[in-house]
Amino acid sequence: MKQLTLTEEAAAVWRALAEGGAADVAALVEATGLDQSRVMVVAGAGGEAGHIAVEEQARDEVDPADGAAEMLERGLDERRAAQALHAAGGSLAMPQFIALTKAEGIAVSAVFRFGAARGWVKREKGSGGPPSVVLTDAGRAALGGEAPDEKAVRLALEGTRFLDEMDVDADAVRKLLGGRKELARLRSRTRRVLSLTDSGRAAWAAGPRVVVERNTLTQDDLRSGAWRDITLRPYDVTLPAARVYPAKPHPVRKIIEQTRRAFLELGFEEVGSPAVEVAFWNFDALFQPQDHPARDMQDTFYMSAPATGELPREEWVEGVKAAHEDGGETGSTGWGYRWSLERAQAMVLRTHCTSATIRALARKPEAPYKAFCVGWTHRNETLSYKHLPVFHQVDGIIIDEAASLATLLGTLKAFYQKMGFEKVRFKPAFYPYTEPSVDVMVYMPERGKWLEMGGSGIFRPEVTEPLGCKHPVLAWGLGIERLAMLRLGFSDIRDLYQGGLDVVEGVPVCR
Amino acid sequence: MPIISVDAARLDGLLAKDYTAEVLGDTLDRIGCDVEEVIELARYRCPNCAALVEGSLGSDTVKVCGVCGHAQDEGFEKVDTVTAIRIDLLAARPDLFDIGGLARALKGYLGEVRGLPEYPVGAPTLRVKVDAGVEDEASRWPHIRCAVVEMPPLDDALLATIMKMQENLHWGVGRDRKLASIGVYDMATLEGDITFRTLHPDDEPFEPLGMPGQTMSGRQILEEHPKGVAYAGILADHARYPVLIDAAGTVLSMPPIINSEPTKVKVGSTRLFVDVTGPSDAAVEASLAMMVTSMAELGGTITACTIVRPDGAEIVTPDLTPGRAEVELGKAKQWLGLPLDADSLTDCFERMRLDVRPLDAERTRFEVVYPAFRGDIRHPVDLLEDLAIGFGYENIEPALVPTMTVGKARPEEEVSGAARMVMFGLGFTEIMSLPMTTEADHFTKLRLPVPDDYVRVANPKLKALTVVRSHLMGGVMNALHHNRRRPMPVRLFELDNCVRLADEGDPTAQFGVAEERRLCFAEVGPEAGFAAVRSVLDALCFELGHEGVYAAVAHPSFVEGRVARFTAGPLEGYIGEVHPEALDAFGIDYPVGLVEIRVAPIDWEA
Repeated sequence: MKQLTLTEEAAAVWRALAEGGAADVAALVEATGLDQSRVMVVAGAGGEAGHIAVEEQARDEVDPADGAAEMLERGLDERRAAQALHAAGGSLAMPQFIALTKAEGIAVSAVFRFGAARGWVKREKGSGGPPSVVLTDAGRAALGGEAPDEKAVRLALEGTRFLDEMDVDADAVRKLLGGRKELARLRSRTRRVLSLTDSGRAAWAAGPRVVVERNTLTQDDLRSGAWRDITLRPYDVTLPAARVYPAKPHPVRKIIEQTRRAFLELGFEEVGSPAVEVAFWNFDALFQPQDHPARDMQDTFYMSAPATGELPREEWVEGVKAAHEDGGETGSTGWGYRWSLERAQAMVLRTHCTSATIRALARKPEAPYKAFCVGWTHRNETLSYKHLPVFHQVDGIIIDEAASLATLLGTLKAFYQKMGFEKVRFKPAFYPYTEPSVDVMVYMPERGKWLEMGGSGIFRPEVTEPLGCKHPVLAWGLGIERLAMLRLGFSDIRDLYQGGLDVVEGVPVCR
Repeated sequence: MPIISVDAARLDGLLAKDYTAEVLGDTLDRIGCDVEEVIELARYRCPNCAALVEGSLGSDTVKVCGVCGHAQDEGFEKVDTVTAIRIDLLAARPDLFDIGGLARALKGYLGEVRGLPEYPVGAPTLRVKVDAGVEDEASRWPHIRCAVVEMPPLDDALLATIMKMQENLHWGVGRDRKLASIGVYDMATLEGDITFRTLHPDDEPFEPLGMPGQTMSGRQILEEHPKGVAYAGILADHARYPVLIDAAGTVLSMPPIINSEPTKVKVGSTRLFVDVTGPSDAAVEASLAMMVTSMAELGGTITACTIVRPDGAEIVTPDLTPGRAEVELGKAKQWLGLPLDADSLTDCFERMRLDVRPLDAERTRFEVVYPAFRGDIRHPVDLLEDLAIGFGYENIEPALVPTMTVGKARPEEEVSGAARMVMFGLGFTEIMSLPMTTEADHFTKLRLPVPDDYVRVANPKLKALTVVRSHLMGGVMNALHHNRRRPMPVRLFELDNCVRLADEGDPTAQFGVAEERRLCFAEVGPEAGFAAVRSVLDALCFELGHEGVYAAVAHPSFVEGRVARFTAGPLEGYIGEVHPEALDAFGIDYPVGLVEIRVAPIDWEA
């Protein structure tokens, strides 16, 4: 026979059963000091091996109601009525009986319901007069004693809760307590009695190997080698665990970093420009006429400090001025108005990062050159669930002899595919500084629709030529927050920037 | 931007073949219209001016008339429901603002008609005399161009279209009537030649539109009439107001404010007089061309007017002479990257309602003729856009430029990436806050005096939002407040750009503003304090390759004796325990240890 291996816990249970014979779970809990659940684990394992038998017995538990102690202390209504009848000579006419119970605070309904059931009182018809209430012999006999249900409730209150442990007439108790919830309820319980089977007894007698079982190992256990005799208690490995979150990047930062990586991988140089920018770079250099609505105080943040800024080198300024006024040497008719130096010198908070890419173009007008910028951009808006006065854009340019509408579309498609959008679509648009102009749309499978991501196009000659660039230049400006909102499923854009960590924690790093 | 709702059935009626609303919407989208959606739209009648008023989305009743401004408590009478294509108007293409213009473009794109639309203009019969007063500096409203258009008798829909066309051109070309203002009148109510002159603000009252039976002076109109109040700003500096008057002395209108009641266009009107006036001759000319050609698309016949300038010179308007530009096939192929040849180029242009004529035998150079209303064309590249749209964006094969280039990140991003990694490793989560803030959050709550000068915004819609941040402490403190109900401790950081007014001679400054990459991190909780953030700061400095040097200083935002200024290589900043008064101001009820660092100066190349 294979030697029996028991944990310390199991050995304690087995020992109690071997030495004390069959016992129920409560007794074993008491004998071993283990939790009931641990005893049941031992019983289960022993049962599977055929060493322990578990017999289930149905039993009734007496569960006294909240006011049961007071009810017994005062005397049940029918007992008090019997005592009162006895004091009144064993019988009372109904009216007097009612008056008496009222004065004593005895519930008449309980008297007739339970008193009659016990056979303590009965109603007798009066001859001609009102009926009377009479104490029976049985009632008289019960006066000094304790009825079985009273005894059961008292014992239960004292701690002996199971009917089969009480020296009472169980059937009588069941009958009397049934339907008297205000006193006590009877609850059906299962008692499990464990005993060693023949094979169990034999295995125990043969001498089991007892192993030490623990939740954790100590440094000493590991150093001394004691771990060899220790079994780590198995866990329910399917249970949920406490939730923890790593420190991690802000969701918008993640998209910015992903965007930067995409353009760096595509061979772009990262560029930047001042957030506090002169109107010349933000508007004029982009052929935005000075009376264009986008330049209104309504739409653009103008600075009071610094209120004006210096313009860059003369030849650029002159070229831009000429492009606006009559097209200069660009082959354009221009906008046909008098260009104002003062308006170009106004300081604004940049309304797009195209100010960064147009500066890059002016610095490096020769092909091939690719540049991008991700940064904060500003529009004079109030805060709402849909709009912020400050948000991010990524702008990019490609100066290349092979730059064309087709390569613009190819570049944007490559970018959005890197950002995880399989389907990208383009439609005509009209922007003042690109020709042709293109709107980029991506397909969101989760929403089943196309969403606009930003604008793009080929810079007009009125933009590139005054800055000394003779090549075609692709340009785009794409929204970052929109991407964040769509990816993360947020509906209120303000949530992004209030600093609540739940926003960061709630978004998995992979999204 | 204004949105128009185009009745799909009516649009279809202007085309030779039958198309569903979806096909029309989709085609307009491919032409470049910003098609929002195709919806069912109810229409109502204004009980005051009898105009047809479109219902608004999400509402099943209309109580205000967009035409005359009439408002009442009871909803207007519902007329019908139509399938409408809703289009967000693009300021750059006013020729696509109305059903006539849209039909014109669709006819070409759907292959029903090719090439340049022709609009015959009848010889002038009406003269408009311009008085020198409109050119006077004190009352300047100098330019005027007019036409007469004979329409089929106007029904509700046609009348509404013309009114809407006028309103949208005011927005798109007239810049809200500041550059040009349009008037349309029933010729049957006019007598003889028209005079364009000025009017004394308080004399010569007339009956303004929308107020039958009531005469008002120019000044009264500006002060009391709803349209007068809305546009009074344009005439604010005018000594006298411009006015159009016929030979019988009937006032037609007081541009750019309002027309008169007696001359208004009604259902059944058929001969219409159209004038455009304003300070910009280009806008005046474009508006008139747009108006009359769209009306011609809706069945109108154009007759010219003779404008007699104050110096006696005469011009005949409208001038619908087409524009011409030269396009090279080679340049077009390069610019667009499309497999074009002379035939497909011609085909694409004609589809866009342009005429094309080869200029050489090899057919490499072409003259493209475009209609007068295409004011958006200032350069031959504008025609290349038409060419691309004619080709169809959906037919373009996307490609990458074949040229090899090397990517390169900004220097401040490299160090920021390292700093960010260290902060995550030390258990700090990243937050982001807006770079525009208020004096209260940026200075006062942090016990910092509000400086006389800082990088300040002049005109924020949110009045208090004047500060462009110079440090990150305010945003971080607000974030700590936002997380005050979470289990303590909370650790977070922000890493972003800040600006400050630069010292004289600062090499990285532009326009007197220096920009820098800053990092702020903080811990809040019962155990938070100087020691804990000092350990974090030391670790950060070590990982970035520097060693910190600390000096005791006083700083109003921190507890006295528990604040230091430090430098560690290029890093510099403050570390300390935040002053309890600042904690209280931000609504934080545990101690906070906080560090604010300049990580790197930023040198945007000039």
